[in-house]
Amino acid sequence: MAKVQVLNVAVLDNPSPFGNPFQFEITFECMEDLPEDLEWKIIYVGSAESEEYDQILDSVLVGPVPAGRHMFVFQADAPNTGLIPESDAVGVTVVLITCTYRGQEFIRIGYYVNNEYTDPELRENPPIKPNYTQRNILASNPRVTRFHINWEGCAERMEDSENVDPSSNSMLPPSCPPGKAPPLGILPDNSMDFL
Amino acid sequence: MKLLKPSWVSHNGKPIFSVDIHPDGTKFATGGQGEDSGKVMIWNMAPVLREEDEKNENVPKMLCQMDNHLACVNCVRWSNNGLYLASGGDDKLVMVWKRAAFIGPSTVFGSSSKLANVEQWRCVTILRNHTGDVMDVAWSPHDVWLASCSVDNTIVIWNARKFPEMVTCLRGHTGLVKGLTWDPVGKYIASQADDHSLKVWRTVDWQMEANITKPFSECGGTTHVLRLSWSPDGQYLVSAHAMNNSGPTAQIVERDGWKTNMDFVGHRKAVTVVKFNPKIFKKKQKNGSSPKPSCPYCCCAVGSKDRSLSVWLTSLKRPLVVIHDLFDKSIMDISWTLTGLGMLVCSMDGTVAYLDFSLDELGDPLSEDEKNTIHQNIYGKSLAITSTEAQLSTTIIENPEMLKYQQERQNSAQANAGPGGAGPESSAPKLNSVMNGESLEDIRKNLLKKQVETRTADGRRRITPLCIAQLDTGDFSPALFNSVPILPSGSSMSSQLTNQLSSDSSPGQLRPSHDAMLTSPPANSAAKGLEDNNDGVKSSLLLTSASKIEPMKALDSRFTERSKATPGVTAAISSTAGLTPLDSRPKDALSALKDAKTKEETSSDSEDKMAAINKNLAFGKRKPELLLDGGEVVEKRKKGRPRKDKVAASIPQPFPQVTPPAEREASRVSAPPAPIAVLKLPTPSTKKAFSLQVSMEPSVFLEVENEVSVVAGSKLSQLRCSRDGRDWNTLLPSSVVTAAGSSDVLAVACEDRMLSVFSSCGRRLLPSIQLSTPVSALHCSAHFVMVLTAGATLSVWDVHKQKALVKNESLLTILSGADTSVSQSLLTQQGVPVIGLSNGKSYCFSSSLETWTLIADKGDSLVQCADFRSCLPTHDAPVSSGPLAVMQGRNLNAGRLASRLSSTPHHLQQSMTLAFLENQLASALTLQSAQEYRYWLLIYARFLVNEGSEYRLRELCKELLGPVHKSAATSWEPTTLGLRKRELLREVLPVIGENLRFQRLFTEYQDQLELLRNK
Repeated sequence: MAKVQVLNVAVLDNPSPFGNPFQFEITFECMEDLPEDLEWKIIYVGSAESEEYDQILDSVLVGPVPAGRHMFVFQADAPNTGLIPESDAVGVTVVLITCTYRGQEFIRIGYYVNNEYTDPELRENPPIKPNYTQRNILASNPRVTRFHINWEGCAERMEDSENVDPSSNSMLPPSCPPGKAPPLGILPDNSMDFL
Repeated sequence: MKLLKPSWVSHNGKPIFSVDIHPDGTKFATGGQGEDSGKVMIWNMAPVLREEDEKNENVPKMLCQMDNHLACVNCVRWSNNGLYLASGGDDKLVMVWKRAAFIGPSTVFGSSSKLANVEQWRCVTILRNHTGDVMDVAWSPHDVWLASCSVDNTIVIWNARKFPEMVTCLRGHTGLVKGLTWDPVGKYIASQADDHSLKVWRTVDWQMEANITKPFSECGGTTHVLRLSWSPDGQYLVSAHAMNNSGPTAQIVERDGWKTNMDFVGHRKAVTVVKFNPKIFKKKQKNGSSPKPSCPYCCCAVGSKDRSLSVWLTSLKRPLVVIHDLFDKSIMDISWTLTGLGMLVCSMDGTVAYLDFSLDELGDPLSEDEKNTIHQNIYGKSLAITSTEAQLSTTIIENPEMLKYQQERQNSAQANAGPGGAGPESSAPKLNSVMNGESLEDIRKNLLKKQVETRTADGRRRITPLCIAQLDTGDFSPALFNSVPILPSGSSMSSQLTNQLSSDSSPGQLRPSHDAMLTSPPANSAAKGLEDNNDGVKSSLLLTSASKIEPMKALDSRFTERSKATPGVTAAISSTAGLTPLDSRPKDALSALKDAKTKEETSSDSEDKMAAINKNLAFGKRKPELLLDGGEVVEKRKKGRPRKDKVAASIPQPFPQVTPPAEREASRVSAPPAPIAVLKLPTPSTKKAFSLQVSMEPSVFLEVENEVSVVAGSKLSQLRCSRDGRDWNTLLPSSVVTAAGSSDVLAVACEDRMLSVFSSCGRRLLPSIQLSTPVSALHCSAHFVMVLTAGATLSVWDVHKQKALVKNESLLTILSGADTSVSQSLLTQQGVPVIGLSNGKSYCFSSSLETWTLIADKGDSLVQCADFRSCLPTHDAPVSSGPLAVMQGRNLNAGRLASRLSSTPHHLQQSMTLAFLENQLASALTLQSAQEYRYWLLIYARFLVNEGSEYRLRELCKELLGPVHKSAATSWEPTTLGLRKRELLREVLPVIGENLRFQRLFTEYQDQLELLRNK
């Protein structure tokens, strides 16, 4: 079972001008003291077409994390417009918040983001060079994906899984067959990391 | 009989493996497969029972869902008191859930279903010990124990009063254990496994009572579960899948001799689950007919792989009812309501059926009193089945002293519990908020400013999260769910928005001219009341914004795939190794991680070493300064100096060569230096002047000024002491190197290796003592003086008695390691010298044993694994000032590591804790630290009581009591460390009395103590 549960993410300063920093107030709960820090990242998807345009806006370590409920505000600068294809500057994209523990991603929270002109006139006739848009994060509809990871994360085990043929693991059916899920102990939880 | 299949009870079509109705009948739990995890759901019973509730939108159907299990949940069971829910799953875990009282409705963050959890159930304990899927869990009567069985062939009994403590692990099955049932009177637990056997275990000693194999020998194939059941009168045990003449049956096992003469026949495929109705029934009295005595009977439901369900009464030869084709797949679990009239059945096909019986069909249920009477008639009153408090009522208190004690204890417990505290639950941890009275809203407003942000060594941002509730409380403070985003207070937008919102507080006023994009999310975030008012408006706004944002398929995938931009391992590399190229193999990162770890682990040691090294360096460096300070005598000393410096660089040289020529004569007179003089401890350097406070109460200050005057070519040093404002001073013929004092004595060591001892008033108590080598450390405590010389020898004198306690004892024995050095030394009030070494070990020299004894070892695994938290006294503050505590330091954290090692077998941890506590006792004894001895003795006694080690307890009591009758031959000392042993026994006895199991022991020694007191 995951040791860290995200209880809530509040999107602060939303909607806001495109250049404003992102602010997420993250509340999470931890079952037991974590010996290592959590690493949080904000990833801005520059273009739906390719991951190439993903920008890691920032990454922070969060710790120490004793058992209990905690909150913090994760603030990250707005994406570099220079790295966003002009065709994607206006419209819908995605911002992702990910959290990793011992290098393994265990939760991914995604929000749709709409970048739009506030001025109705500009909206009708967008300028050729995109500019002065407003960013609106669809805060009411987070998409949360959780991943099973090895929380104990002992190095030996990770090394073991390194030697496992990755293809056999990556081909697992997405949902469990009726009846029983495959026993988790046999399958390295973090095999994806080594692909 | 009425039959209903509530279609809304579903795990989205995934199989439901288990169902259990809450004892109060208002809700039920289901367990099974979730989307990508195991799932436990709690449902409202009302919509099942009443159609109008089912149709009423305001009556919630689902109360709570928990996705915490990593894999399929095989079993859910409510505790008998209804406070807890236990679930076991394929993730090898058993989780125990408790309702969190303070938290209102919430959704699971980001869950696709927007259905709110009406009740909050929180996992309070995770029980880890099984190495395979957990198939069944069962609470014992009175919730004393929780049993779980697994495909690892074992059954684990957990202490339900003290999770996650393990009572025992029952081994004996050679196949997957798939079902458990407790005897209703708590004397036995039965298990059924794939190894073609049903085993009955005694709860007294956890040994096997019976092994029944015959009815199962023919069993082939596998059934997913084998949920057997014990009849409510305790007389019959009915197994799941058994075979009789190659037909599937449910075997009836009689309690009397474990005979297997009867079975339930008729199912076409293996029986998966048997469940007795919790009620005992008697024949319904027909109106008008004369009440004639009839034999009470039981009712039993049997579910099978053949998808049919049969219900039997033990008074009938044929089943009461058989229902075929109720499900599309095998029946997995059955649960009766406590009233005995309702039953829920769940199936692998993911559906649940509810059966409602009438009294006419089943008969008149006996009341609980009548049922108890039956139990008492059959099993007697005093079933000494357990030692826990729940069974207090059934264990007979055998003497008035014990009764008095127990009553006092209950009274004080009630007093402690205060208003609202109810019985054993009163000990439940209380809410422990860390918010210091500040409201959560206030905190949130300033969180960004307030939160602590630092940079790590490699320049990364690190945020210390704000802890808003501690977990060990079990419950949480009322906190934010569906929380309102707080806009930065300074931003113009927020004020603008709040204005808007406050002016728009009535529906319909939200002007349509507002840009939807601008207003919809804040409207969403408005206060609750407002939200309700604006419901219509809001939803339309949401619609517009949603329709504007047309999610693209390409983007959708990004939500669920771990992106390449953040591969975990590269992150690990960049964070830990910094310089490692990104394309390097993960192994490198791992080894880097490992390195970092080992470094971390040894850091404390190396710090010590560093300190020692620094000391050495300082020693070497300071010498030249001294040369300058020395004034006229410099000339004279110069000859000796260079050689001394060499020694400081640890070139082994006998000490006489080192000593300045002027002192040679003296050294010749003194005892020849010990041959082990190669051992070199750092010595303090001579300073021109120094002062120190030797005692706080009374306050004693010592001032030393070296070379105040020169008389006849030899310099004099002054020692000045002020005690409570009164001064005295004295002169010494050589420079004072170090001084120490206690409230009784003062000691100074001079450069000429002379040790002088004065009383607190300045009277010389002893003639100067000539030391073989310079002083490394000097301590005074009470009327004891301890000297550690540079030649690594230790001496302790009792100044009052003018006697040596320790005579030139070499440290060679304990400094055996290559790199060990003395990091700490102290002298206890009782004159016991203690030496702490850089390797984390601490020794004291026991003058009675004339040997070095190990009293503390920071690296000792016993220290780290011992878990005696439960035995810590609640009211006494831990002893932190005694020598033992000082030497063991902060490391002694009552099994901080123990929780991490919860997977270690209980008996191992028990032994480790026992060994540790005995070490502590012995150490405290050697250190003659009476307070610590008493402290650890009580913890030790409590631990023995908790673990039920009667032999040790008895020996302890015997030792403390001593011989009752005086005899000359006895060597028993009435006191230990100045504590009267019988007084200690008086303190230990109440601890023993807490466990009724030891009441005889308690009584025995209580009586003898009384006897002795009256003598």
